[in-house]
Amino acid sequence: MTETVLELIGTRMSFSGKQLFDVQRLTFRSETCLVLTGANGSGKTTLLKIAAGLLAPDRGTISFDGRDFSWQRAYRSLRRRVVYLHQFPYMFDASVFDNVAYGLRRKGVPAPEARAQVRQALEWAGLSGHTSQNARSLSGGEKQRVALARARVLSPHLLLLDEPIANMDEEGRERTLFFIRQMVSDGFTVALATHERQLVQQVAQLHLRLEGGRLIEKAVPARTRLKQTRVKKARSA
Amino acid sequence: MNDISSASLRAFELLISGDAQLWTIIGVSFSVSLRAILIAVPIGLPVALLLAFGRFPGRRMLVTTFNSLMAVPAVVVGLTVYLMLSRAGPFGDLKLLFTQTAMVIGQAVLALPLLIAMAHAALQSADLRAWETALTLGAASPRALLTVMHEVRFALMAAVIAAFGRVIAEVGVSLMVGGNILNYTRNIPTAIALETSKGEFAQGIALGAVLLFLALVLNFFLNLFQGRGELA
Repeated sequence: MTETVLELIGTRMSFSGKQLFDVQRLTFRSETCLVLTGANGSGKTTLLKIAAGLLAPDRGTISFDGRDFSWQRAYRSLRRRVVYLHQFPYMFDASVFDNVAYGLRRKGVPAPEARAQVRQALEWAGLSGHTSQNARSLSGGEKQRVALARARVLSPHLLLLDEPIANMDEEGRERTLFFIRQMVSDGFTVALATHERQLVQQVAQLHLRLEGGRLIEKAVPARTRLKQTRVKKARSA
Repeated sequence: MNDISSASLRAFELLISGDAQLWTIIGVSFSVSLRAILIAVPIGLPVALLLAFGRFPGRRMLVTTFNSLMAVPAVVVGLTVYLMLSRAGPFGDLKLLFTQTAMVIGQAVLALPLLIAMAHAALQSADLRAWETALTLGAASPRALLTVMHEVRFALMAAVIAAFGRVIAEVGVSLMVGGNILNYTRNIPTAIALETSKGEFAQGIALGAVLLFLALVLNFFLNLFQGRGELA
């Protein structure tokens, strides 16, 4: 049984007096990969940033731990619980190691423990050979993996990915999707925004479409549902 | 022509012989200007931060004001500081006029608009994703601000170097509030002005060479930092 990790209720957002969306309810369920689709400019990124505590909505309630909060009261908690990854992840002008260690240092994790966790995450992302390299010199796909490792070490309640495979070649897409699937099967709650419908078939366990400012639940292809069941069975075994 | 050649030769001799008077003047210049920058930076950077990221009424007007103040001639700043510190001025009781402290204050005032305008431009050019990434990785707002400053550190260093370049070469403020007192408030620009007016060019040329060398060094670092800032 999946639990609710976070819920956005009655979230409304406007830009320059024009309403972008009015979402009645958006629920993020644990260990589920939610794919949010919608046309360019439909407000997917804005919605994710609100959930991440990075952007204030015009109106709306945030619910977690069985309690409702206004966004203004919740945003600090959201920033501790949710990690948001940009379409083109920002790399600090520092080594790959320091990029991945950034969040752990902010959490006050002791240096030896942080070092071990970063090494483990870099190994997971296949970036052990790039530890001391400046993160900005990496390729787009490698930067995406650094960003995933940077999020993974923090074990967030919710991981939000904004167009994670946009502008990648086929190999980069496959590789990134592999890591996203792996994070979902490791128990992470993931939501990703995309305008590419094919991503739904590849990773979605729940598909929502943002259209005309409203969220519409769409059917998830059977193949993905099968994969989901297999992952759960494997975990319970 | 012969005069210029012999003056240049004499200037070279003064420099390499370690002439005490000449090196005192150079020492005063660096000491005063460095202190002025050390005062201006902790004031200028927070103001630049506030202008770049704060949202309050009159912010745009303040940005325009600081941009305009960059063009104010040093003598006007010197005159203003002189009036403030003169016996009849509001700070006359402090008896700071014709002291190094007065020069430091004057140069800090002169440096501030340039420092604020350049640091503001640097901070505004920072990638919004740096701020958001720091926050989403758990940094509190003040720490995220430090991270953003670190990301544009080369552009900020360029602002500090440009401000230092402005104050070490200025003559208006130093002359008016320092008084050009030998071995105390006489610095490179005021000494050059004085020696030239006396028709004694050797010391002027020697000090000019020091300023020229300094300008080259500062510009080298300025280009280096600006280049890195663009890469970052």
